[in-house]
Amino acid sequence: MLSSFPRLAASDFDEACNSLLGRYRRAGQKQEEWLSIETVYHYDMTYLSITKALPDAVYIPKDSNDDDEVDEVEEDDEEVIAKSSVPQAIINYDIVLSPTYQVPVLYISISDPQHRFPPTMATLYEHLIPLHFKTQTEHAGVIGGITVTDHPATNRPVFFIHPCQTAGVIEASVGARDVTAEEYLMVWIGALGKCVGLNIPLALVREEEDDLV
Amino acid sequence: MSRDATSRLRQSVWNGSLPLEIRLHKGDCRTYNESDPYIIQFPRISYLGLLIHKLHAFFSSSLIYPDVAASDTWLSYEGVPLKWHYPLGLLYDLYSGAEPAYPPDTSSPSQKSESTEEERRHLPWRLTVHFSDYPNEQLVKLDNEDNILHDLFKNSVKEADYLRTGTGKTVMFLSKEDSTQLWEAVKQHDFALYNPINQKLLNPQGVNLRHLPVRLYLPHAASDSLKEEASPGSLRVVQSLVPTNLSSRQPQTIGTALNSILPTLFPSRRSALLAQAVLHGAVLPLSASVEELIRATAYLDGWLHIAVVMMG
Repeated sequence: MLSSFPRLAASDFDEACNSLLGRYRRAGQKQEEWLSIETVYHYDMTYLSITKALPDAVYIPKDSNDDDEVDEVEEDDEEVIAKSSVPQAIINYDIVLSPTYQVPVLYISISDPQHRFPPTMATLYEHLIPLHFKTQTEHAGVIGGITVTDHPATNRPVFFIHPCQTAGVIEASVGARDVTAEEYLMVWIGALGKCVGLNIPLALVREEEDDLV
Repeated sequence: MSRDATSRLRQSVWNGSLPLEIRLHKGDCRTYNESDPYIIQFPRISYLGLLIHKLHAFFSSSLIYPDVAASDTWLSYEGVPLKWHYPLGLLYDLYSGAEPAYPPDTSSPSQKSESTEEERRHLPWRLTVHFSDYPNEQLVKLDNEDNILHDLFKNSVKEADYLRTGTGKTVMFLSKEDSTQLWEAVKQHDFALYNPINQKLLNPQGVNLRHLPVRLYLPHAASDSLKEEASPGSLRVVQSLVPTNLSSRQPQTIGTALNSILPTLFPSRRSALLAQAVLHGAVLPLSASVEELIRATAYLDGWLHIAVVMMG
């Protein structure tokens, strides 16, 4: 039983991260969705960093009437160049244990050599949130359940999912079951990741089933 | 601290302000000669983000591209973009280079005149306003309706409340009117609007304060290692659970908190040896009770935002 359930103690968070890293080491090559998963050490802080390619299909060039992007002309020029020569943008999902709420918090950013995806609400809704989650996420907080804040380690602006409801969500998802630290993290990704395109690849979940065969 | 002293201190923190001289960046200015600066006496505890509409209106006739939006506005000091959700006082304590004030009992008459000289050298604080090349990688982009600034503020208030009560129920229980009044108080810098809501937040019914909202800001020069290529003015922000009391008889002091969070910079709980904690332009005595400071000197969002400055 997790000592701080529905919150997560630091030692349980570390254990959960290590388990997921172990899964990826064993089965990561059976999937293509996640490009990497690693633990990042920043002073006293440890967090889990998952990357995946920004899906091409989601990338829609901006309307020409969207005039608040200064570098738009450049973007259009580059669109002319063959798509394959455009470097792939990567989504970073950083999972950090909040010292305040004592639950994992998801920070999302897009790394792009061409800086096409600044952390603005436009980027969030055009490139990160799958269509069927849009109405759901727009109606929480002042401007939505996902907003921009500074990353606790890099101190740069990134998207994040407000953590104040997380413990309640986890409690509702787990119910009366006893979960391990790793199961907690999987439930957490399942409950919070979907709306920003973070899912646990099936190959990692199926690991045990394969082992049984 | 007596009730009276707390409320006097609360008032002087509320009234603290800095003169600002804001000039338009040359790259945004249509005339070869510089345009007039925007001059304002601005509260230390308030947010520069609340100025974007005034700045936009003031400078729009001088802009090369006058049709930019208020949300394109950003400010910098010596090349460092200034974060919108950091109160002005914190930004000044971190970046101005001004020497902080020391408690009066340790200062000799000569230090007094030095501090006036010091002020003359750093004030007004000269900032640069830009309307192009927004530093998206470093600053949260605001919107023209102040919703993003409001959201940043509200999240910070919620987090402070969660730390104090352990549940975050007070903010949840703030009525819609109270919540609106709090943001109005911030926007108008109106103590009469602010204080009743703040008192509700600081005195949750039937709950003792559990943890105290303290955040430490270390300029990279002050931190013990340089792991990544730091951009100008980049900071390490440190936050940790700070219990209100160490035991039933020992309240948490600034010294005990710093010693437990940053032991390498604060090896002693009683005397500052390597670094100092600066709040509202003053060096904090390590013996000060953190709870008393929260009640009397917290920023608008309920936090003590403390700059950690290396001793020269």
